[in-house]
Amino acid sequence: MITLTINGLDVSVEKGTTVLEAAQFLGFPIPTLCHMEGLTPYGACRLCVVEIGEGPGAKLVSSCTYPAEPGLKVRTASLRVMRARKMILELLLASCPQSKEIQDLASKHEITQQRFRQEYSDCILCGRCVRMCEEQMMAKAIGFRGRGEKRSIGTPFDVPSEVCRQCGGCIYVCPACSLRCTYTQPEKAICGGCANLSPPCLQKDSFDDMMCYMDPCVACEIKKP
Amino acid sequence: MKTLTCFDDFKALHDRLRAQADPNTTTIVIPAGTCGIASGAAELIREAQRAILANDLAGRVALRVTGCHGFCQMEPSILVEPRRTFYPKVNPDDVERIVRAAALDEVIESLLPPGPMGGPCVATQDQIDFFARQARGVLSGNEKVDPTRIEDYIAQGGYSALVQALSRSDAGWVIEQIKISGLRGRGGAGFPTGKKWELARNARAVGGKKFVVCNADEGDPGAYMDRSLLEGNPHAILEGLTIAAVAIGATHGVIYVRSEYPLAIKHAQIALRQARDMGLLGEDILGSGTRFDIDIVQGAGAFVCGEETALIRSIEGRMGEPRQRPPYPIAKGIFGAPTCINNVETLANIPFIIRHGADAFAGIGVEGNTGTKIFSLVGKIRNTGLVEVPLGMPLKEVVHEIGGGPAGKTRIKAVQTGGPSGGCIPASLFDLPISYDSLTKAGSIMGSGGMIVMDENTCMVDVARYFMNFLKDESCGKCFTCRKGTQRMYEILEDITLGKGTPEHIDLLEELALVVKDTTMCGLGQSASNPVLSTLKYFREEYRRHVEEKRCDAYVCKNLVGAPCQAACPVDTEPWRYVALIEKGQYDEAYRIIRQANPFPAVSARVCDRKCESRCSLGVGGGESVAIRALKRFITDRVDPAVYRPEVRSTNGQARKIAVVGAGPAGLAAAHGLSLLGHKVTVLEAEQESGGMLACSLPAYRLPREIVRAEVATLMNENITVRHGVVFGQEVTLEGLSAEGFDAVFLAIGAHESWRLDLKGEDLAGVYPSMQFLKAFNLRGEELASGHVGIIGGGNSAVDAARVALRQKDVTSVTLLYRRTRGEMPAYEEEVEAALEEGVTIETLVSPVKIRVRQEEIETALREGVELETLVSPIRICSREGRLVGIECIRNRLGDLDASGRRRPVPVPGTEFTLQFDTLIVAIGERPQSAPLAAMGLATDKSGRVKVDPKTLATSVEGVFAGGDLVTGPNTVIDAIAAGKKVADVIDRYLRGEPLVEPAEAKLPTVFLEPADVDEEDLENTTRAVPPVLPVEKRKKNFREIEKPLSAEQARAEARRCLRCDLAFTQERQPVCGQSAAVGEEYA
Repeated sequence: MITLTINGLDVSVEKGTTVLEAAQFLGFPIPTLCHMEGLTPYGACRLCVVEIGEGPGAKLVSSCTYPAEPGLKVRTASLRVMRARKMILELLLASCPQSKEIQDLASKHEITQQRFRQEYSDCILCGRCVRMCEEQMMAKAIGFRGRGEKRSIGTPFDVPSEVCRQCGGCIYVCPACSLRCTYTQPEKAICGGCANLSPPCLQKDSFDDMMCYMDPCVACEIKKP
Repeated sequence: MKTLTCFDDFKALHDRLRAQADPNTTTIVIPAGTCGIASGAAELIREAQRAILANDLAGRVALRVTGCHGFCQMEPSILVEPRRTFYPKVNPDDVERIVRAAALDEVIESLLPPGPMGGPCVATQDQIDFFARQARGVLSGNEKVDPTRIEDYIAQGGYSALVQALSRSDAGWVIEQIKISGLRGRGGAGFPTGKKWELARNARAVGGKKFVVCNADEGDPGAYMDRSLLEGNPHAILEGLTIAAVAIGATHGVIYVRSEYPLAIKHAQIALRQARDMGLLGEDILGSGTRFDIDIVQGAGAFVCGEETALIRSIEGRMGEPRQRPPYPIAKGIFGAPTCINNVETLANIPFIIRHGADAFAGIGVEGNTGTKIFSLVGKIRNTGLVEVPLGMPLKEVVHEIGGGPAGKTRIKAVQTGGPSGGCIPASLFDLPISYDSLTKAGSIMGSGGMIVMDENTCMVDVARYFMNFLKDESCGKCFTCRKGTQRMYEILEDITLGKGTPEHIDLLEELALVVKDTTMCGLGQSASNPVLSTLKYFREEYRRHVEEKRCDAYVCKNLVGAPCQAACPVDTEPWRYVALIEKGQYDEAYRIIRQANPFPAVSARVCDRKCESRCSLGVGGGESVAIRALKRFITDRVDPAVYRPEVRSTNGQARKIAVVGAGPAGLAAAHGLSLLGHKVTVLEAEQESGGMLACSLPAYRLPREIVRAEVATLMNENITVRHGVVFGQEVTLEGLSAEGFDAVFLAIGAHESWRLDLKGEDLAGVYPSMQFLKAFNLRGEELASGHVGIIGGGNSAVDAARVALRQKDVTSVTLLYRRTRGEMPAYEEEVEAALEEGVTIETLVSPVKIRVRQEEIETALREGVELETLVSPIRICSREGRLVGIECIRNRLGDLDASGRRRPVPVPGTEFTLQFDTLIVAIGERPQSAPLAAMGLATDKSGRVKVDPKTLATSVEGVFAGGDLVTGPNTVIDAIAAGKKVADVIDRYLRGEPLVEPAEAKLPTVFLEPADVDEEDLENTTRAVPPVLPVEKRKKNFREIEKPLSAEQARAEARRCLRCDLAFTQERQPVCGQSAAVGEEYA
């Protein structure tokens, strides 16, 4: 067992536990986006940063990937952490404003401004879908491509994947919604999940007013004749 | 090649090779690293081979092809041993001469590098400043070995360190040695290598495997020392890597090198094969029982793969993407096995430490930062290349001594260290010793050792933008804050450089940069903010100028600069426009364009300091800038000022009364501007003539009096009254003016009080301050100088005084004394030349005080025959019976560099000497006579300058404005005109109760003028037009104007040379008539 201190409280956890899990065990809320139970920690969205260490050596790390260490001192909501989180949410809002999940997080953190050039991207490259596909569906149909600002998710060379079973798992886990569903051109879709999962959507013209994919699919319900 | 099976075999081989190598063999050494080959080393090698064979010198002259020696700028070069003669930039045609001379042990002087400051040629490589001040350890091998011959390396003592390490029975010995040496990782972070190795040694192998990796993924723009080492001395890296393996018990070695380094890969492959064949790698190294081999893994060139966790993933064949540490690679690296990763340079240091002893290494450098470090010194600097210096050396020594200072006549502004992840260190911090910790403290990093020197023509916002552009592409993209953060920072920086920035942008940029630094996973992201944060820290003013004033002072940001000539002009003249009009022959229109912006066209055409020309794209691009001032002179000489009729604004009875104090360029420009706005202006002038400095200080041979009078007359109208002979502070005061009913006052009394030397005897008869001397002559025709005349100072007023004195009838000689050297004289170079020609003597390194003047003046003065004595300071004034007889001076030498990179004059004891003078003119600078102003409640600084808000020129007293030399200290005419022009607008706004200034906007060209049909080839052959001048004999003892106008052909040819930078801004706005109509029809 490893004993560490989170916000002044000692907690003993098993070896291999992450700081995020330890904090959640104690009930300290830490917002997450790329993290998902059942998938390996990835540490991409940086929303779960916490402050560890003390004095000039103190630093921020992503709690979802940082292993609990004996004697580690963790602060989950210090000023430095909150400032970083707010900026991350502002950046998320600037890129992906239509995501319900991001909107909720932003509202919870009282984000009142967005000072960057507005984009309407439908992917934050959190990699949930990639890990879902690989780890839970054992398909490895999609992955990351490119680097830097050109990084994207898709099948190799954008060719429909032979190993994809069109299970829709990638869409199910997507926090940005409407992400990879190109149902208006089903032949180009990576997984075709939308066609499998919610046939009523096929009659819709666009997804503009849709907040979320999965059951209950609000937009589809409303659209029902 | 015989495989060596025991240590004795190796020793025998080493001794044999050593005996064979005769250090006195004449050897032609040709560096052929990537830099050498790129500049033509291959041809030199061919020529050298041919020359050796053709002259039957084989056996007497050897040829060695090596890696880069570091002085990349001088490639292709040849080094001749054993004399160590260094021939830079060798022409293939000269190779044969060099070879033949080498065979006879001779030196070809004409091909040697010139000495510093034009001194005698430098005979050997080690005497060249660039090499002399370096401490070469690791790099020294590059010139001694042919990288493709293991024998060369062994003969130089190579692999003996490995043998030493292998033969020790106590396994911890090597690590102990490395620890004692204090070696820190040369990749940039500076982690102690010994500690790393100990951790690696203690890590348990996984699946029987433990890795040691050489990180040669060098991706920083401008850094190439790792490449140079791997290319030039690959066996040193292999030896270092093998010693590391022995020390930590590694079984596998990997050299991770980017595929962009083909030569490095090739040489490493050859070296590996040789080492394996010789039994220095493999199953049983030298019979010691140690098993170790090395593979080369080629990376595809992603910057992030230099980060160790990304590098490991790349070696494993996966996407190069960092992961969370811990676990550290030492515990869990390649395929889960412990992996120890070291930089190329770190490994190259290992054999040195083992061979020469840890203490020897620890003795180099400073506590905590031992040994040497290689830097790649590039950018706006005279000597570029690889330099190896002991850690702890002050930055300025590297920049100014080894690097030789700025490449041109600019000032070095900053050094960017550590590549894209590093930061910029300003010149004011150049005393900083180079060490891991000091650089980090200054907001930069050591990084792999890139050192990019930047001068005044580098825009720091643009630099940050450049690096952010690199980083946004090279971030792996995994961390959201790194991917989006760098992209957003780039967006903001781009907005600022495009002129769309707001003050909020700067705050947001800083906030974002701090968050990116804080929240990213790997080193790339954590340091990605450094370019932004360090430039914000040290150059925030530049950001502010971009955002608030829409100015890029380095003239880099195109959308803020527009046409550089226009942006440079303090009075917003559009030089490109009148130059284009001259080309078209529209002289009247050209005059109107000049006059619209500048109320003193004829004066400016003679005495303007030509900021436009110094920024002309033609000149900046390496050519000769367009002779804009001469073109202006051509127009103003030819066109009647009456073609321009300024309109006077109707005030509908709202005209106000304004007092302008001082009828110099600033005061008259203000009075003129205000009068056109309809206000009633009264100008008060202390002297009997208007013109200020134009009349009393500038000599008539540069600016004829009638030109000044005529120009001043054109500015007068019924709204302006001038009262001469009224001394402000005596006859009138601010209170008095206010009582007289003036609504606003503009003070522009200039700077007429000369600084004093503060030597005893300065009030003797025969000693005059330069202003008094010039005024006496220019205004009243009194000739104060006689006999032998000494002038102290090196500025424009000193040169003016010298040349005026020369023209006075009782003067026999004129000597100018300056405390530094001629190169540092602030006077115009051409003026000094002229003065010398006319007979003035100049003594440099003499005078004790600082003054500002311009180079070209120096030139002219010298040409006129002024004698120049530099490096001299006066220390005592000698007198007899109350009259000056001479001065005692002391010689100076140039001492240490000050923060600006100029050397300080240091008096040399025992060099005192006396000069006999009948007249001494002290011209070491002027200051405003502002004591009466201070008494009236105006805030002034310690140099007597009135303090104003730089944007509005408002003083501390309500309704009182000030400008010109009174505010800036002695300055140019054009800046004074600019101040007057600006204040007219400000005062008008003030009187109408409006905000005093409008938000700034970039001054961009707006009017489209058809470009001339210019043949490019013709253009390349034309040179800058030079106006004719009066020959020396015709001007020496009179005041006739020296410079004459250009002829019409000259002027139009000169105008055709203009690159028309304006077209980039105006051309696209013009509808392309024919085409657009056709397209319209098609769609109609």
